[in-house]
Amino acid sequence: MSAYIASLVSVIGINLILALSLNIITGFCGQVSLGHAAFYGLGAYMAAYLAKLGAPLPVTLLAGTAMAGAIGIVVGLTSLRVRHDFLAVTTMGIGFVLLGFVRKQKWLGGELGISGIPGPGLDAVSYALLIVAFAAAVLAFSLWIKQSWMGFTFDAVADDEDAARTVGVNVSTYKLVAFGIGTALAGTAGGLYIYFARIILPDTFDFVQSIAILTMVVIGGTGSVWGVFASTVVLTLLPEVSRAAADYRLLIFGAMLMLVMRFSPGGLAGLLRKPA
Amino acid sequence: MNALAEIDDLHVSFGGVAAANGVSFTVERSELLALIGANGAGKTTALRMVAGILRPDRGRVLFDDRDVTALPAHARVRLGLGFTHQIVRPFYSFSTIENVMLAAGYARTASPWKAITSRSRMAARDKARAILERFGLGAQAERSPRALPLGQRKRLEVARAIALDPKLLLLDEPLAGLSSAEATTMADLIRTLSGQGITVVLVEHNLGEVLRVADRLVVLDAGKVMAQGAPSDVMARDDVRQAYTGVV
Amino acid sequence: MLFVELVVQGLVYGCMYAMMAVGLTLVYGLLRILHIAHAGVFALGAYMTVTVANATGSLALGFLVATVVSAIAGIAIYRLAYQPILHHAAFVPMVVSIGLFIVMQEAFRLIFGAYGIAFDKNPWYVAHVNLVGINLTYVEIAMVIMSVVLLVGFGLFAGLTRAGIGWRATVTDPHMATSFGVDPVRVRYVNFLFGSALAGIAGGLVGLLNNYVEPTMGGAVSYKALAIVVLGGLGSVRGTLIASLVLGVVEAFGAIYLANIFDRDAIGFLFLIVVLMVRPQGLLGRG
Repeated sequence: MSAYIASLVSVIGINLILALSLNIITGFCGQVSLGHAAFYGLGAYMAAYLAKLGAPLPVTLLAGTAMAGAIGIVVGLTSLRVRHDFLAVTTMGIGFVLLGFVRKQKWLGGELGISGIPGPGLDAVSYALLIVAFAAAVLAFSLWIKQSWMGFTFDAVADDEDAARTVGVNVSTYKLVAFGIGTALAGTAGGLYIYFARIILPDTFDFVQSIAILTMVVIGGTGSVWGVFASTVVLTLLPEVSRAAADYRLLIFGAMLMLVMRFSPGGLAGLLRKPA
Repeated sequence: MNALAEIDDLHVSFGGVAAANGVSFTVERSELLALIGANGAGKTTALRMVAGILRPDRGRVLFDDRDVTALPAHARVRLGLGFTHQIVRPFYSFSTIENVMLAAGYARTASPWKAITSRSRMAARDKARAILERFGLGAQAERSPRALPLGQRKRLEVARAIALDPKLLLLDEPLAGLSSAEATTMADLIRTLSGQGITVVLVEHNLGEVLRVADRLVVLDAGKVMAQGAPSDVMARDDVRQAYTGVV
Repeated sequence: MLFVELVVQGLVYGCMYAMMAVGLTLVYGLLRILHIAHAGVFALGAYMTVTVANATGSLALGFLVATVVSAIAGIAIYRLAYQPILHHAAFVPMVVSIGLFIVMQEAFRLIFGAYGIAFDKNPWYVAHVNLVGINLTYVEIAMVIMSVVLLVGFGLFAGLTRAGIGWRATVTDPHMATSFGVDPVRVRYVNFLFGSALAGIAGGLVGLLNNYVEPTMGGAVSYKALAIVVLGGLGSVRGTLIASLVLGVVEAFGAIYLANIFDRDAIGFLFLIVVLMVRPQGLLGRG
């Protein structure tokens, strides 16, 4: 594997973890989140801060995951208070608040971010494989959830919360669990990212990134694990396949979002599913 | 306490209007109790407070010797309370049998940990199928609730509640919107359930069927209980007839 | 003195936010859609104003073209993007709107360049007036006057004209309104027409204010406008107006006093989140 391929594989792996984790929140449990990139950022910043203090990789990853998950549960608590249609704006706002905070903190590097992050202690190819292993684990975990009673319960919560309550489902708890798991995994992606990039900037985790992640979920088919897998791989490779496409990347994302939602709201997975 | 449930002095207001103004009654074990009254008397409001969907401003709800007033709806379900909505709410993205399966598997949805560690849906499917057969919905198992006519959707709503193995079943206008033949069938079904030992409280407008199947009536008027007792005794009272029809 | 200055500055920005937010509230109240592409219409208005003004030398013509083009764009968006998918869950139109906004923003970047355009002639940018010891540029005054005139005008329309009352009825209860002979589709067109025109004008004004029009200018204002719609409560125009002014003032103060902790964009959202925790239905929404 050449260095270029290794780098490509790493990016795909990280994007997979991001998209699959958002899929748990939005696709499985039906909670719209427009601030997912902020948790990616939280994990990255936590890991980077500790890495520069000398902490080893397993510790930084764990810390990034835990930090993102903890704040994620707090955000989940806000989701319980807010009307369903307002959740999108609230999660978007949380993204802006978290990022706005980080941008102003000198000890986190402010606008210039954190640079000089140490390497992972593995060569590029081995590290890429580590990322792939994590992505595979998240994929397997997503499938597990989907096939378990948790997936069944999430489906009910996404369909009709009040009806779910009348069959004994503690809707609040399940929403919090979805947020906790999804955001924690986004934090893991952040922790993995820092060793790959060696430098992190606040702009990497902004609203546009949240939308990019959402695009991967939506186009794959919100809720469909394999659909999200496919769309993430394709959308990540797109700018690589065509240099020209790179400048039009956002335009293509936007156009795809519109077209897919207009003609097949169930995404790619929806196209393949037989009609109910 | 011998009664299964005790509703004690419930008060609730919406925007200054008292929908419940001191509702008190008991529910005896295994009985089929009907809450009746004119429109706006507060019947559905009272039922929703017993179910835990609506929080009272004042008063208590006791169930099986426990004060459940502060418990949310889903927790009351776990203690043995089933509820059906006036306007049916099946999970439209599930099939008919899946609707009942989720309820049948209530042990597995009790906590996220239990849920994530349980995979097999076999037992729930078998239990759900049996219930659907009892309710005459066996042939509809794989169909979407969207494809079912109202009468069957209402039966599905009750079937789903039964899958929770409830001690007390709260039914909000189960006969509303049904033709007279369907209403009779449904009323008979409810009577059968009651005969099997489940305590049933229903809110209903369809007096004909109610008088036929209920053991006891509680009449609400302007948010208060105005009369209770055996159907024939209650309906013979002048004040009850006046409240209903405005004529003595 | 600083206090008064901040309040005034906040109110000026509040007027600008109001012009954006009213259009969003109108759409949300009627269709329950978060019309994020509204930001694209805002930027479109700005681009129309600056290109026409620079080409013809007339600012008035620029604004006129901006108003017309924005209104048409708004209606086109409704007809082509939203109407075909109204029957889906709310998530779907919102995502379409996000996609459309991105497409518009990128289109501006590819057509007009990433670095922005300035007004050739912008006398109002510098010229200012001193009112009770506070400096206000002509643009800021124009913004306040324009928004007051337009919003009062709309208020009169909604309250006194037949069409306006029909509009209000449709927002409150579409079925009832139809049985009274109000055409709901016409009402939607009016909504988008008026809201989008407002956004286009606001875009032109903001372009004048900063003497600069660039592709991403819709973003920041639009996100705040969304926060305002939520703050103001369920599609309530009055709530939106009050929330706009409140947000403008809160932001002005927050930018100074919280400067070391949060950046400017975050302050508005922080306020929103705090309010929602205390009152989930928004400042003026009903529970």
